[in-house]
Amino acid sequence: MRTARRISQIFFLLFFLFLFFQARYPYETWLPSDLFLRASPLVAIATILATRKVIASVLIAFIILLLTIPLGRFFCGWICPLGTIIDGSDNLIKRKKRKPRQRESTRFRSWKFAILAAVLVASLFSVQFIWFFDPIALLTRTITTVLYPVFSFLLLGLFNFSFSTRLFEDQVYSAYDIAQNSILPIAQPMFFEAVLIALVFVGILALGMVTRRFWCRNLCPLGALLGLFSKFRLTKRYVDETCNSCSICQRECKMNAIEDDYAVNNTVECIECMECVSNCKPHSVSYKFGKNIGKNEIDLSKRRFIQAAAVGLAGVAIAKTSAVSREKTGQAIRPPGAVKEDGFLDRCIRCQECVRICATTGGTLQPSFLQSGWEGIWTPISVPRLGYCEYNCNLCGQVCPTGAIQNLTMEKKQKLKMGIAYFDKSRCIPWYDQQDCLVCEEHCPTPDKAIKFDIREARTPEGSMRTVKFPYVDEKLCIGCGICVTKCPVIGDPGIFVTNAQAERIEV
Amino acid sequence: MSNLSRREFIAKSAGVGIAASSLILSRKLAADDEWTLVVVKNGSPAQLVRQAIETLGGMSRFVKKGNTVLIKPNIGWDRLPEQAANTNPDEVAEVVKMCKEAGAKRVRVLDRTCNQARRCYKRSGIEAASKKAGAEVRHIVKSRFETVRIPGGELVKSWPFYRDALEADVFINMPIAKDHSISRVTLGFKNIMGIIGGDRGQIHKDFMTKIVDLNLAIKPALTIIDAYRVLLRNGPSGGNLADVAVKKTVIAGTDPVAVDSYAMGLFDIDPTKVEYLRDATQRGLGQMDLSKVKMKVVDLSA
Repeated sequence: MRTARRISQIFFLLFFLFLFFQARYPYETWLPSDLFLRASPLVAIATILATRKVIASVLIAFIILLLTIPLGRFFCGWICPLGTIIDGSDNLIKRKKRKPRQRESTRFRSWKFAILAAVLVASLFSVQFIWFFDPIALLTRTITTVLYPVFSFLLLGLFNFSFSTRLFEDQVYSAYDIAQNSILPIAQPMFFEAVLIALVFVGILALGMVTRRFWCRNLCPLGALLGLFSKFRLTKRYVDETCNSCSICQRECKMNAIEDDYAVNNTVECIECMECVSNCKPHSVSYKFGKNIGKNEIDLSKRRFIQAAAVGLAGVAIAKTSAVSREKTGQAIRPPGAVKEDGFLDRCIRCQECVRICATTGGTLQPSFLQSGWEGIWTPISVPRLGYCEYNCNLCGQVCPTGAIQNLTMEKKQKLKMGIAYFDKSRCIPWYDQQDCLVCEEHCPTPDKAIKFDIREARTPEGSMRTVKFPYVDEKLCIGCGICVTKCPVIGDPGIFVTNAQAERIEV
Repeated sequence: MSNLSRREFIAKSAGVGIAASSLILSRKLAADDEWTLVVVKNGSPAQLVRQAIETLGGMSRFVKKGNTVLIKPNIGWDRLPEQAANTNPDEVAEVVKMCKEAGAKRVRVLDRTCNQARRCYKRSGIEAASKKAGAEVRHIVKSRFETVRIPGGELVKSWPFYRDALEADVFINMPIAKDHSISRVTLGFKNIMGIIGGDRGQIHKDFMTKIVDLNLAIKPALTIIDAYRVLLRNGPSGGNLADVAVKKTVIAGTDPVAVDSYAMGLFDIDPTKVEYLRDATQRGLGQMDLSKVKMKVVDLSA
């Protein structure tokens, strides 16, 4: 059983990574790269609660939820890619040896229920915190902004080193081409917030120093949700009379789900990993179909539930009342196809799928910090100084699991305003320096260019007259793609910038 | 032999017939009598470039057996061939074929793009067509630029250039003729910006001098301007089919200044008024005065 489980875990982890690599231009695949995200019941319930709408793309998650009823938390033990990574990292961590028969503390395991209660209460009031905790969103986010950039940095470094040595240059160039067509990015991805996102991930792995699967046991609200449903499962852990009460099963249980009577396991905590079956020397333990006799209580008292709900509400209040400067909100330029801001914040689970796929084309999307307030942290925004929205691209809408970014037709997307560009005449070269430049106009992608120019005589600093092309924006034509800002040759603050003024957001 | 029959086939299908074949033969006999500039009009893109190169003396004039060739089309934009923002893919493919026919060991096609490179390579049709014709289509790798000193440079004294362009035995520049707000039009000289590294935005200041400086560093053996479709407005990226004029013309030559000078006529621009052409002629890069250039115009419809 252990081997079967490990194969399943590795298979799903590889499948998860495979789907991750699908999320790149040209994205011509029949397998949606956001499949795991859409299959997370926590994502489904929280977004449906917050929007009070049926979101079709996430409905597949209910299959997982329904399967949990007879099968228990199989998702945690056999599928969850974060769980697999935690298992892997736990195997590398040395923990303090416990005395024989000394059981690990169960003190913290109610926290995950409290977290679940708090975030769902917040969802009910349309403030979303679920994105921080959902393991699939968390892992996708971490891989996009931290692990993949590091991977690509190392691999690109290897290629660059090879090119510098000039050994087997033609072969290396061919290999580079193949790699770049499959696993390497078009350019090294770099993200804001990468350090913060990395710290969360490292923290989760580091908790393995306390106990194995600390995150899964004590903190993961998806695990808690699946635990609630696994109360009624139809498999039972059966311990026969050959049991010699050696306590190995309890000691080796990743979830600390086996009670002091070794025959009794807590089905809410059990993740069906079957380590206890594999570890049992006298082969006393087996799993059978039948009515479960295990203990299945949820460690959350009414008092704790009310506390958690209160924390959730406090979070709602704080998020809704914290000030954001208007300069900042103007910078919250959403991807094309983003639904209206309230709905957007309800739906966005900060998985960074859009950011990931954007990095393989124009590279404008970045996880935000406080541009749209605490409520909007790590939501995608366009940062045009770093990258721009490709005119012929609508991929972000294709990979969004929750419809926060709608999948627009190319024709519609090409006309949709993300914002408007404005010249900063104190920095723009023709305005500031009376010299021709027009790099912005050169790159402007709308068929009738949104950046136009006047040809006028201007006095140079030396006093002579010169003919200069002065650019300006036609706001009727500008779609706020930001390529003018990306390509602006002015050092530092650009001579042109984009705000989300006149942004067209989708009503759903 | 297959080489000859192909030439005959093209010549016939282009309606040039015996006249063209005898012209080619005469070119071969008198190497010192070679044309510097050839303009071919009214044919398919592939016919136009093939005829242009044949009239110049055939690809063997430029590419020797075992040579490595770098072809630098304009693949700058995520646009379709009909939008005329990138070099015509059939023309690029035909030049690849001709290089291969002349015995080139390796033909590489690449460009440093403005939009995301994979998009440009794909939508332009150049990647697929060139690969089919036998070229290696490569993407620019940042670490493969090498800084070149430009002794005659007035404002640009040194600049990074792409290794493949510097080291190829034969460098073929294949721009498309387009409207361009900064340089008025973009032709061969401007196309060199696709093989340079560094911050290209900085070149746009004092553009006219800097573009000549850059062209001092690398001189193409052959410049072929694609003017099959010409983008007359909203260049260089275009996107509106109404801005595209079908001119069915290819201008090819060994003198990059003369080639650009002739192409100015497509936009009704007097080349003597173009700063960089004057400057380049003065600095000895070529001849802008077409009356001093050995030039031949071939009309395939005649």
